[in-house]
Amino acid sequence: MQQGALADDQATPMPRPDGAYANYALGAPYDEMFARDGTVREHYAALAERLATLPPEELYRRQQACELSFLHQGITFTVYSDAQATERIIPTDLLPRIVTAAEWARIERGLKQRIGALNLFLRDVYGDARVLRDGIVPRSMIYGSRHYRREMRELSVPHGAYVNVCGSDLVRNEAGDFVVLEDNLRVPSGVSYMLANRDVVRRAFPAVFRRMGVRAIEHYPRELLTTLRSLAPFHEDVSIAVLTPGVFNSAYFEHAFLARQMGVELVEGRDLLVNDNVVYTRTTSGLKRIDVIYRRIDDDFIDPLIFREDSSLGVPGLFNAYRAGNVMIANALGTGIADDKALYAYVPRLIRYYLAEEPVLNNVETFLCREEKSLSHVLANLDTLVVKAVGESGGYGMLVGPHASRAERDEFAQKIRADPENYIAQPTIQLSTAPTFVDGVVEPRHVDLRPFILQGEETVIVPGALTRVALKRGSLVVNSSQGGGSKDTWVLAG
Amino acid sequence: MFYSLRHITRFRYSAPVHESVMELRMQPRSEGPQTLRSFQITTNPRAQLYAYTDYLGNAVYHFNVLRAHEELRIEAQAVVEMAAIPVLPETVDALEWSRYNPYNLSDIHFDLLEPSKFARLSRPLAEFMAQRGIEKPAGDALSALKALNRTIYDAFDYQIGVTEVHSPIEQALAARRGVCQDFAHIMIAVARAWGIPARYVSGYLNSRRRAGARERSGEDATHAWIEAYLPSLGWLGFDPTNDILAGDRHIRAAVGRDYADVPPTRGTFKGLAESELAISVAVEPTQAPVRHEEFLRIARPMKPRTPSDLALDRLHHQQQQQQQQQQ
Repeated sequence: MQQGALADDQATPMPRPDGAYANYALGAPYDEMFARDGTVREHYAALAERLATLPPEELYRRQQACELSFLHQGITFTVYSDAQATERIIPTDLLPRIVTAAEWARIERGLKQRIGALNLFLRDVYGDARVLRDGIVPRSMIYGSRHYRREMRELSVPHGAYVNVCGSDLVRNEAGDFVVLEDNLRVPSGVSYMLANRDVVRRAFPAVFRRMGVRAIEHYPRELLTTLRSLAPFHEDVSIAVLTPGVFNSAYFEHAFLARQMGVELVEGRDLLVNDNVVYTRTTSGLKRIDVIYRRIDDDFIDPLIFREDSSLGVPGLFNAYRAGNVMIANALGTGIADDKALYAYVPRLIRYYLAEEPVLNNVETFLCREEKSLSHVLANLDTLVVKAVGESGGYGMLVGPHASRAERDEFAQKIRADPENYIAQPTIQLSTAPTFVDGVVEPRHVDLRPFILQGEETVIVPGALTRVALKRGSLVVNSSQGGGSKDTWVLAG
Repeated sequence: MFYSLRHITRFRYSAPVHESVMELRMQPRSEGPQTLRSFQITTNPRAQLYAYTDYLGNAVYHFNVLRAHEELRIEAQAVVEMAAIPVLPETVDALEWSRYNPYNLSDIHFDLLEPSKFARLSRPLAEFMAQRGIEKPAGDALSALKALNRTIYDAFDYQIGVTEVHSPIEQALAARRGVCQDFAHIMIAVARAWGIPARYVSGYLNSRRRAGARERSGEDATHAWIEAYLPSLGWLGFDPTNDILAGDRHIRAAVGRDYADVPPTRGTFKGLAESELAISVAVEPTQAPVRHEEFLRIARPMKPRTPSDLALDRLHHQQQQQQQQQQ
């Protein structure tokens, strides 16, 4: 165990099953494969049996095959903060993460409930603002947020679905319950890794895969296409395009991948133009009308006429065409107001307010530094808390208290004091661990779970997810922008 | 009383550009004492105009020009009828402060209490307020706003060229000079800090001579002032550039949180070219003949430029002045 690692990471019972698990130390975090007493959980039994028959060299060989396959397909991710600034392969782990049918049923129910409430919330804050008048959410949190798009006021969106593609981050706490860590309602990425991981991992364990009854996810692109089509006011001959910021975007691979899988065009802003309030793409045979845009560009950059005028990525006039109903955009603009890390704390209340239901999936306890009492609690307990900047995503601008040095904590405390409204804090959650093949041995690594929810005319969740894994021992940061890897996720049929 | 209004905007490009896309907020509003009697926009090159009403009730026109062009000219003409402005009481009672509550304010008012891009409290503004003894008044809110209107008028010199359309208020605060846009932003930021919803008004002023000097408006008769919300009186207009209440010579075109919400024109184009903007505005009582020679013509940049651009701009400016005088 590393110096400075979490106290509860330090091994209590140390089952040392033979062979591959020689280094597998179980600690306080929930482990996906092993129960507390060291026995293999039932839904992992088939995989465990298979692993027991494979020598480490063979595992290593298969891992290599997976990585090579990713390299050949060009599945990469750009890491912005890296001085070498570069495309990396997202390391995929050989060992799948397995979710039982019962667990999945609950996740599915919880996510549908949550996205339902969030869509109602968006319709409300861009409409009557009942939620503000009733004092459920403080007004200043909405009107003071840079993600609130006043341009969206009084505009209606098809089926009331503002968030057509959502990628929610779930984690499993020490008690083994799934809780929601973050809602990603703007331009969530990662679904291509979900699909690519499946492609390579099922080939690494073909027999086990068949025997376990893993639910299919390959139809995701088709479901996405159906969702996008359902946004058009007519349903025949809908012309769709994926709008990417371009090849330097960290998720460009995914944009190209999804466009190819759906059989629609991949375009950059400069490929589109607006004429007489209608959006066209330039083709070799002239202009072709576009009806629905799956945009992977942030609000700020999507239309320099309305939003950031220095944006060269967007399409001037796009928003007015959208306002007029001449083009549909998924996700709708302004969804960022609902996945703000401060608003997150209010989501359980929103579920009760709009649906009169109790949340199926809980939140992580969250302290809003904007509230004085919470602020002093946060400042006094920085060593145990995770602090996040409200407007940031992708693991930027955050402090993991237990892993930070005193100097880092002091520096962060200053930032919080200077701008408390911009920060929230949560207790360090011991994300669950899953067996991960690292440097030739199987070790526990922390994982999260990002399922993808599609909402157009209907709400659909493909039974799968991106499982992100923190490859550094003891690390709790799974973001791919911070050097995390990913795993195939097997949702069992029953 | 009727006013006729003619607002010409001309962009000239140093090389042919294409795919111009523009939004216009120049149609006078029709509400309160102000009624819009007629309005039309023509563009050259000709374009199909589209319009919508934004969430603040402003009429917005937009259009695009695909083919190559070296000049884009927009002419807006309006006739506005102005009824007498109701006479305000001298003061409001001290209870006015307690009326800033959810029963009297709507979401639009609450939104206008939040800082916005150009109208926000900053250290230089706080220092300015301390220096001038500007404090949240305990008593009469109306008198306090009038006093604030005068304080800003007294504290700043009106000077064109110190700030430009995208300048933050800190620039005017540091120089103690600026134009109507700067003064309006400063007054809005202070009013909001006091808890009074405040908004920016973009419009036109039919200016008068006063004590020998002409009233100050935008360089070209486009003007900006503010409106503050008093629950017992509604929206009241203050013109800190001239130390007056907005009256029947203030023609309102658009309201917003600050300038960023309501520029008269906003646009983009494709092509490698410098763009130069010339504006000419005339606001006249319709009884009087429109005297074209009184149009003020100015040039102002669309985006921040380098010093060499500025030199180029001066040249453009001079050429343009000459050309216009020959018309």
